[in-house]
Amino acid sequence: MAKEKFVTPDALPEEVAKLTPDAFAFTSVGEKLMDEEMQTVSRGFFRDALFRLRKNKAAVAAFFLLCFIVFMAIFGPGMNEHTFTAQNLDHANMPPRIPVLEDLGIFNGSRVLPSRRLDRLDDTERYPEGCILRTFNEHEIRKVKMVDVEVNYYKYVGADDTYYWFGTDDLGRDIWTRLWRGARVSLIIAVVAVLTDVVIGVVYGAIAGYYGGTLDMIMMRFCELLNAFPNVIVCTMFIMVFGSGMTSMILALTVRGWVGCARIVRAQFLRFRGREYVMAAQTMGVPDRALIFRHILPNSVGPIITRTMVAIPGAIFTESFLAYIGLGLAPPEPSIGTMLSAGQKVLMEFPHQTLFPAIVISVLMIAFNLFGNGLRDALDPTQRGQE
Amino acid sequence: MGKYILKRLGMMLLTLFFIMTIGFCMMRAMPGGPYDDDPELTPEQIEMLEAKLNLDKSIPEQYFLFLKGIILDGNWGVSVKLRPGLDALTVLKERIPHSMLLNIASLVISIPLGILSGTLAAMFKNKWPDYIISVMVIICISVPSFVFATGLQYFLSGKLAWFPAIYDVKGALGAKLYSMVLPILALAFSPIATITRYLRGELIETLSSEYMLLARTKGLKKSQAVVRHAFRNSMVPLANIIIPMFTNIMGGSLVVETIFAVPGIGGIIKDSINASDYSLALGAMLFYSFISVATIFVVDISYGIIDPRIRLGGKKNG
Repeated sequence: MAKEKFVTPDALPEEVAKLTPDAFAFTSVGEKLMDEEMQTVSRGFFRDALFRLRKNKAAVAAFFLLCFIVFMAIFGPGMNEHTFTAQNLDHANMPPRIPVLEDLGIFNGSRVLPSRRLDRLDDTERYPEGCILRTFNEHEIRKVKMVDVEVNYYKYVGADDTYYWFGTDDLGRDIWTRLWRGARVSLIIAVVAVLTDVVIGVVYGAIAGYYGGTLDMIMMRFCELLNAFPNVIVCTMFIMVFGSGMTSMILALTVRGWVGCARIVRAQFLRFRGREYVMAAQTMGVPDRALIFRHILPNSVGPIITRTMVAIPGAIFTESFLAYIGLGLAPPEPSIGTMLSAGQKVLMEFPHQTLFPAIVISVLMIAFNLFGNGLRDALDPTQRGQE
Repeated sequence: MGKYILKRLGMMLLTLFFIMTIGFCMMRAMPGGPYDDDPELTPEQIEMLEAKLNLDKSIPEQYFLFLKGIILDGNWGVSVKLRPGLDALTVLKERIPHSMLLNIASLVISIPLGILSGTLAAMFKNKWPDYIISVMVIICISVPSFVFATGLQYFLSGKLAWFPAIYDVKGALGAKLYSMVLPILALAFSPIATITRYLRGELIETLSSEYMLLARTKGLKKSQAVVRHAFRNSMVPLANIIIPMFTNIMGGSLVVETIFAVPGIGGIIKDSINASDYSLALGAMLFYSFISVATIFVVDISYGIIDPRIRLGGKKNG
């Protein structure tokens, strides 16, 4: 019967009609059919995010920049023989001098001494051999010939064999060492403060969002009240009362800092609390604590990480800001903010004292923001394009 | 709506009262009195002076007397150290205008600039103007205002001598404004960047919506469609980020004011706390808190006025 059905030669061209069954073969016998289930390696949430993050060039660059700054903050202060407290008043306000670059004419330890008496330039007691690089702008003050002298300041003060890579401050302390130590202090304070924020915020937000109702309302009203206090005022008062140690600095930043995190976590909890899988777990008798931390909280990991990365530069800013207005760690402990405010006073004479701290804090903030943005895009692709 | 506003107003006053109380107690709890380090005073004289200022009484009693002074004769206390003998309110009144002028001016110039660059960035999305603006935005948002202030002071007034390095207090209005250019600029960078970033995001979303397509189909040019249709819709949420920005500018101006020697309210907070000049410190702090609370209040109210959809939510709460 079946054979008869196949043999209908009249309608077919001759060469096709002549084909015997053994001319045919199954096309995909030994092959695996990809249709039944997903055959690609499944990528988890974090691998997926990492993949997206890697494609963001700015974020990758920012990441390496951050690594560099962290590396310098850890090892920078030990890279030369100077310490952050060692004062040497003979070496006060030394200009920067960097070994290789000095041969190119930049950062060569030169400094202009304005209005020096022309007739004393040959006095080797005043101007040691070879310290004068050039003289210019000849002028007269009270009939005495004066000249501006650019000297190699290191030879001038008789310290030709020392190098202060970033110069020294008004007490003769090495800026390189102090700057990286300051960066270390800023980073520690900011990171610890933000982590504390996250811990408090997660617990607080989770409780408010999970239980809801009156408890939620009271807890959120408290947040609102706390938020109404200006951050600067809260930190100022806190440090005034509890003194200016690292712990009180961290706590001062935390007083108001955790509210943002609590809000984010609460919002996530409100979203997921009513989902079926939560209800199912509840029905099966999962205790509240496990529900909160094992079933609902993982949903907030993305927003929490993003929030953390955004909060760190904010904390660095607040820390340096407080240090700038004189509420930082007690001297001699350096901080980028203190160095900036000290440099500000001698900005016109010794710009290098401001330049290097300004560059480091700017780069640090830019890197954190870029990386934070990249991380946000990677963890939550729906938010992309906001930047 | 009226009830809602009244309720928010009550909340705001309550918050300020809280801040005042906590501030008062903390300030008194701080170690050291205003006359502690004065070598010219004998212990008896210090005792007499402290008795005159009620500093010898317990903190609750002091607080009660302080409240009584405010309510009965509007007396916020007398400055003891920084401007001895002067009423705290008088000192603040002298200084607030300088700060406000600075802050409002920088907000005012940052709005049009931010809108302009945000619109440009959105219209040339992923082309070179957008890239340049994006880089500027990330720099302006990241770099602290006091770094900007220092840089501007060094280059524009120190090296090029285009602007005066410090604020001209006594000069005529023209000279005053001229000397304010640098601090205003330093404070404006971050708000400009914030507005730009926000508006760009909003506009890009709006530009891809269907009514924009309709507008183009009707024959409007791209620029016309952007200005007449997309723009208006993006302005609504913008209002709500501009108002709270004021608090941030005020915070930044604390330092920028000291850099440019503006006799504003910024310097007074730190100085008065360090000198234990309680009434002055409390007054300055209350002023800052007032600004911050007031902006939150304005935002809450304006949400309802600008966007009717939120008014319903407001009613539900009130």
